[in-house]
Amino acid sequence: MKKPKDLNLETLSLHAGNKPDSDFGSRATPIYQTSSFVFQDSETAAGIFNNERAGHTYSRITNPTNAVLEERISSLEGGIGAISTASGQAALFLAITTILGKGSHIVASKSLYGGSHNLLEYTLPRFGITSSFVDFRKPKNIKSAIQKNTGLIFGETLGNPGLDVMNIEMVSNIAHQNKVPLLVDSTFTTPYLMKPFDYGADLIFHSATKFLSGHGVVIGGLLVDSGNFEWSSNKKFKTLNEPYNGFHNMKFVEEFGPAAFINRARKEGARDFGACMSPHTAFLILQGLETLSLRMEKHISNTREIVSFLNEHKDVKSVSYPELENHPDNKLAQEILPRGCGAVFTFEIEGGLESGKKFIESLNIFSHLANVGDAKSLVIHPASTTHHRMNTLALKNAGISESTVRLSIGIEDINDLKEDLDEALKQANR
Amino acid sequence: MYYHPIQQKINNSEPIIFIHGTGMDHTVWTLPVRYFSRKKTDVLAIDLPGHGQNKDKPLDSISKISTYIYNFLDKYKIQRCSLVGHSMGSLIALEMASSRPERVKAISMIGTAFPMQVNEALLESAKSNPQIAINILTFMGYSFSSRLGGNKTPGMWMTESTKRLMQKSKKGIIYKDLKACSEFTGGLDKAKKVEAKVQLILGSNDFLTPRIKAQDLIDNFNQPLVQEILGSGHSLMMEEPNKVLDYLIQLFNN
Repeated sequence: MKKPKDLNLETLSLHAGNKPDSDFGSRATPIYQTSSFVFQDSETAAGIFNNERAGHTYSRITNPTNAVLEERISSLEGGIGAISTASGQAALFLAITTILGKGSHIVASKSLYGGSHNLLEYTLPRFGITSSFVDFRKPKNIKSAIQKNTGLIFGETLGNPGLDVMNIEMVSNIAHQNKVPLLVDSTFTTPYLMKPFDYGADLIFHSATKFLSGHGVVIGGLLVDSGNFEWSSNKKFKTLNEPYNGFHNMKFVEEFGPAAFINRARKEGARDFGACMSPHTAFLILQGLETLSLRMEKHISNTREIVSFLNEHKDVKSVSYPELENHPDNKLAQEILPRGCGAVFTFEIEGGLESGKKFIESLNIFSHLANVGDAKSLVIHPASTTHHRMNTLALKNAGISESTVRLSIGIEDINDLKEDLDEALKQANR
Repeated sequence: MYYHPIQQKINNSEPIIFIHGTGMDHTVWTLPVRYFSRKKTDVLAIDLPGHGQNKDKPLDSISKISTYIYNFLDKYKIQRCSLVGHSMGSLIALEMASSRPERVKAISMIGTAFPMQVNEALLESAKSNPQIAINILTFMGYSFSSRLGGNKTPGMWMTESTKRLMQKSKKGIIYKDLKACSEFTGGLDKAKKVEAKVQLILGSNDFLTPRIKAQDLIDNFNQPLVQEILGSGHSLMMEEPNKVLDYLIQLFNN
């Protein structure tokens, strides 16, 4: 019997979710720039609203262009379904609030993107959700941080900006032993470098603003459900296994089985929180995804050369990149990130804060801005910008000092990038 | 027996009973169940023994499963019913309608064929390494076009959703289900005995139960209603949920 052959990532990046449109045969995914959709008749309208029929009602909840993107990211990650959101932060918020509420607790990695840290540390407690931040390299710390009310474990595939490599298999084992799902921010790795569901993650979100779209032209997020986590009969997850008044007492685990989470997220979170992605944004992310593998290949080859270049540079104190032998996660990175450890990394410049400022201001090709994952190379000083709300201890935990500089390596000519960096380093220490 | 919680009344009703296929459970029927329920029609989307939330011991033949369902109906004093079955579920519907014709008003057989022979290699995989069988069933269970997505239900990736449902089935279930399909005999004679209204909903690109392999069944039923969905594979409720619903409405409204 002929064995089934699933399509590969490079093919799915171009085709998944999309069919030439039935009216005009448009090969590219059309942008359905509409707020709402005309119903064939009253009965059809009632059917779609009551979840008897498949279809679209209002673009805050679903839209055909966004649906293509949602299917595409699901296919690339090996998930059962996804929801596109206004930003990566919106995707994180949607993931958390779909299953947690007042009195819930999250165990999170201490090495998080500043925005995620803000949400967990300062904002969610106002709504009764608290978090403990622990070192994900230490299983004991994760286990001891889990409380009776812990409903989620959350970390990043590659911590921002210190590039801690999450041992997803180890963390997910701990999570599942405690009947808690693992949510992973996979923004830095993308499915090109790693698929967290293969290692036991239950939910993934992306800031699609970064490598997925790849050109720094949109803000968007994606939340993907593996469909693996067993929500039923777990009293912590009442939103999924008890009747929901907001949808005719629907019990999501009983009506949708493995798809309970993603259906609740759409039927409640997308509907009520309203942080939806515009169809035009979805189109631009789809365009970006078409070249994901080509761009990531170039991002990684450029990054490897620049890491090596800076690592040997006299004006650089140290470089933090998991492929370097002195990185604490070097061995793990070799195992789970053989295609590369992303294109974002940090280094410590000789001369401290003042040299760092001078260095950034002397760069010509690198753009000084608060983003990563653009096709263009980027630079920032995390302590004074993206992570400035963290206190000294939190900064230290996240691997950030005052002389830390973060680079996001683009796909420009490698020699031009090296020359730009070399010249700026000279200026910084002049 | 586990049945879809949307159903409030069971005793003495004349429900439409939805019967899932290999390795599946009642959740494959959520959309039509919600429709018929809103229309005040009694509906039961059941989990077969060993499937979904049904804790009973799995059964390995179509006739045993049919008897099991009839026992359930007797328990709740359900004298007559209609049956909607997908794939293996369609054979169960045929068995029930032919063995007790007076108790069945209508049957809809979705993604069906007779015989429903299962390749030996697939059976062996289902026994020794179910994941391989799941991969094959999912791959063959969708048209090429649907393998690339384009789901009518926004944002859901069809093939992986099907895999996940099957992966959650209990050990040995997929093998027993496939064996039951493969060993089902006498389908054409049974078709002749059916007194109920009969509908067949078939996918033109079905690789598991190809359209042509339903023709003998069609020829042996008494004036069946044959609905073909162009472009659809075997997973018709996923690939064309609205068309399947429209055809079911057509059957039950007449």
